[in-house]
Amino acid sequence: MAEFAVEVFQNEFLADGATDVHAVVRTTVSGAGSAGRSGSGDAAEIIIIDTSGSMAGEKISAARRAAAVAVDQILDGTWFAVIGGTEVATRAFPFPNAELSIVRMEPGARAAARTAIGMMEADGGTAIGSWLRLADELFAKAPSATQRHAILLTDGKNQHETRSELASAVAAVRGSFQCDCRGVGADWDVAELRLIATDLLGSLELLREPRQLAGDFQALMQAAMNRGVADVALRVWAPQGAQVLFVKQVSPTLEDLTARRTSVNPLTGSYPTGAWKDETRDYQVAVRLPAKPVGAEQLAARVQLAVGDEVVANGLIKAMWSDDEQLTTRINPEVAHYTGQAELAQVIQEGLAAKAAGDDETATAKLGRAVQIATQSGNDEVTAKLRKVVEVDDAEGGTVRLKRDVAKLDEMDLDVSSTKTTRVRR
Amino acid sequence: MSQDAPGAETDTAEGTEIEAPEIGAPETEAPETEAPETEAPDTEGAEEAEVERACPACGETAIPGSRFCEACGTALDAPPAATAEPVAGEDRTHTFVLPQQEEGQDAADPAAAPVDTADQAGASVAQVCGQCGGTIAADGYCEQCGAPAVRERDHWVEQPSEWVGGVCDRGIRHRRNEDAMALSADPQPGGVAVLVVCDGVTTARDSDVASLAAARAACDVLTGQRPGDAERAARIQAWTGTLTAAAEAAHRAVIVAVDAPAPSQGRAAAQAAASSPPSCTFVAAVVDGDLGMVGWLGDSRAYWLPDEGDAVQVSADDSWAGVRIAMGMDREEAESSPQAHAITRWLGPDNLDHQPQCASVALDSAGWLLVCSDGMWNYCSPAGALRELVRTTVAATGSVPADVAAGLVAWANGQGGHDNVTVAMARVQAGSEGKGVG
Repeated sequence: MAEFAVEVFQNEFLADGATDVHAVVRTTVSGAGSAGRSGSGDAAEIIIIDTSGSMAGEKISAARRAAAVAVDQILDGTWFAVIGGTEVATRAFPFPNAELSIVRMEPGARAAARTAIGMMEADGGTAIGSWLRLADELFAKAPSATQRHAILLTDGKNQHETRSELASAVAAVRGSFQCDCRGVGADWDVAELRLIATDLLGSLELLREPRQLAGDFQALMQAAMNRGVADVALRVWAPQGAQVLFVKQVSPTLEDLTARRTSVNPLTGSYPTGAWKDETRDYQVAVRLPAKPVGAEQLAARVQLAVGDEVVANGLIKAMWSDDEQLTTRINPEVAHYTGQAELAQVIQEGLAAKAAGDDETATAKLGRAVQIATQSGNDEVTAKLRKVVEVDDAEGGTVRLKRDVAKLDEMDLDVSSTKTTRVRR
Repeated sequence: MSQDAPGAETDTAEGTEIEAPEIGAPETEAPETEAPETEAPDTEGAEEAEVERACPACGETAIPGSRFCEACGTALDAPPAATAEPVAGEDRTHTFVLPQQEEGQDAADPAAAPVDTADQAGASVAQVCGQCGGTIAADGYCEQCGAPAVRERDHWVEQPSEWVGGVCDRGIRHRRNEDAMALSADPQPGGVAVLVVCDGVTTARDSDVASLAAARAACDVLTGQRPGDAERAARIQAWTGTLTAAAEAAHRAVIVAVDAPAPSQGRAAAQAAASSPPSCTFVAAVVDGDLGMVGWLGDSRAYWLPDEGDAVQVSADDSWAGVRIAMGMDREEAESSPQAHAITRWLGPDNLDHQPQCASVALDSAGWLLVCSDGMWNYCSPAGALRELVRTTVAATGSVPADVAAGLVAWANGQGGHDNVTVAMARVQAGSEGKGVG
């Protein structure tokens, strides 16, 4: 049986007149088991491979290998399908002439799928929205599959759809399945794939070389198969008269969940987090309360993990007004750390945008600040990627110079990594 | 040391050691006669001192004399009449049990709440939020407004009779309620009422335990005493003796309740106990027909607030400020001094002089006898101002004593609630029970 834990980090003491309570909520699931085996419904997997013309050559052969490796990881009994994507979406497996459009994994299906994958050829354009819509249709043919997950691989921009067509497709499938997104090479659009990954509760990674695909797909599908707890939501209760300023996932990656709220009751919001394997995720919650007199105590929020409609773990965020400055000025290390990580993501994205727009002054300031935060917080991965984009004169002070002739891949890599956070150093 | 305010007769009997032969050994088990039946019919009879009422909503044992469940706030006597039904002043110690503090016990531990007779089953039953009326969740906070459930030791109401009531409250700033009160009263106005307030010294450990033990011990000594129809002077003498005995009992209760660590328990514990042993102030007021008697140690006060005529502070603080005021310093100046609250006498193991100062006052017109801790009078010290405050409070709350006391406590909390706040009041009727003015 899966076990759930919620732990709250905060300084509950507020100065006289203060209204905002910040807390980091650490949520942990253990004993998650395997996808589709919890008794609450089957699992379903769809692999979506970009088969546009730009994939021709090394990329498509690597993609075929990766898709085959992923299929090997899918547990028997799991519903699955494979989609090839160009300016239209095509079902690669089950074969287009097959009666069933999604089937359960078993040895025969696995062998047939490998054959089908081997026949995928690169030719055509790119319309990612249509790929997502087809995936949604196929998932719908397996109504017993309640835990639905897709892997989407592309190498280029979404040329055959407008941004709003893509956005409306994402909105149409949101909540139906989760989607991990992978971009290979330097010709795809980080913002575009980030939109999909964020809205569909998936991860986003850049793969510099096609040969990295197989290992990544293997790990991705293994992780998906280990997500034995489906339909987990974070619930946040705030008292009457209070305002939830934001709810963010802050680890392992940064995701603002605030706008994803659905109402459980007038005081409680539910934020979907998808399926979980054995893992720990941290959330930051900020609540604004009406100020109370010094000495008063109240609950600022209840934070709960819910599986379906069942609350499985609870944490309390408190507020106590005090005139003891020693108490009220203390900053909780977790809250401070993740506030910094959020700023880090923001200044990297703003710095890269300024650089792209030719505003070197802003870019230098923003990326300098990024180097400062990344260094102080021990975010070595982001620090290393920043150093490929800027020359660092003084890491602690945040003094940098923009590098000339930076590889586009390095900038994209930094952009993708900007939302990856580290834990607090103890 | 009392103020001789014009129009109010106060006699000081300081340090008198009067043997009062007509007052026997304290009768702690003194069943009230003709207690009006207000309990649920299935209780085992109001004559029994041990009668316990259970809250109809949550099953919590009710405090005798209370009209609402302390645990969940449900009205105990339905329908809640505008004027409370008189309730027999049962022996509260049977339902309101002192917690047995153990070494190292956290003061914030819910087990430190006065009631430990109720089992934890009550926790699973919905409690009502004291702030907004919402439901208290299992996590101890309101489901609506997030306010914490009120611990019983932090706020409770006593109303032993329709003409006597009080509220003891943690206030806003302090994390513990070290004030305590104990009240008893004859059912009918004009009889005998006892109001005891003790204020634990904040710097001392377990002062909340000490103050509650002291207040109850003193109240038990004073309850049930009947000096009879003796002359006024004899009654004063008798009550002075009983007040002295009550202070003595309270003093012993402080020592017993807290059980100062023996030297064998370690030098640190012994030093801590020696440097700040638990201690508390003491003020006890008795209404005996038209005679008011007050005994005190420290700066908790008793006031006589007649509806007409001059209001008077009957007690005189045993404090730095009180001593200065007695010497002629301006009250405002003395009470605003940094040392104003340093008390010069108290109950506790480090003060062997626990002879109370005593004073009498003639309750010869309609008015309020009010006993309070400094958490109240800090915001309204002069007797005249306090009477005006009571008058405006009565206009808002009605004249049920517990409601008026609650209004005054709420007002003090509105002023900042910097200390624990306790207010206990007895309503004196005009020309009540002329037992012969001496």
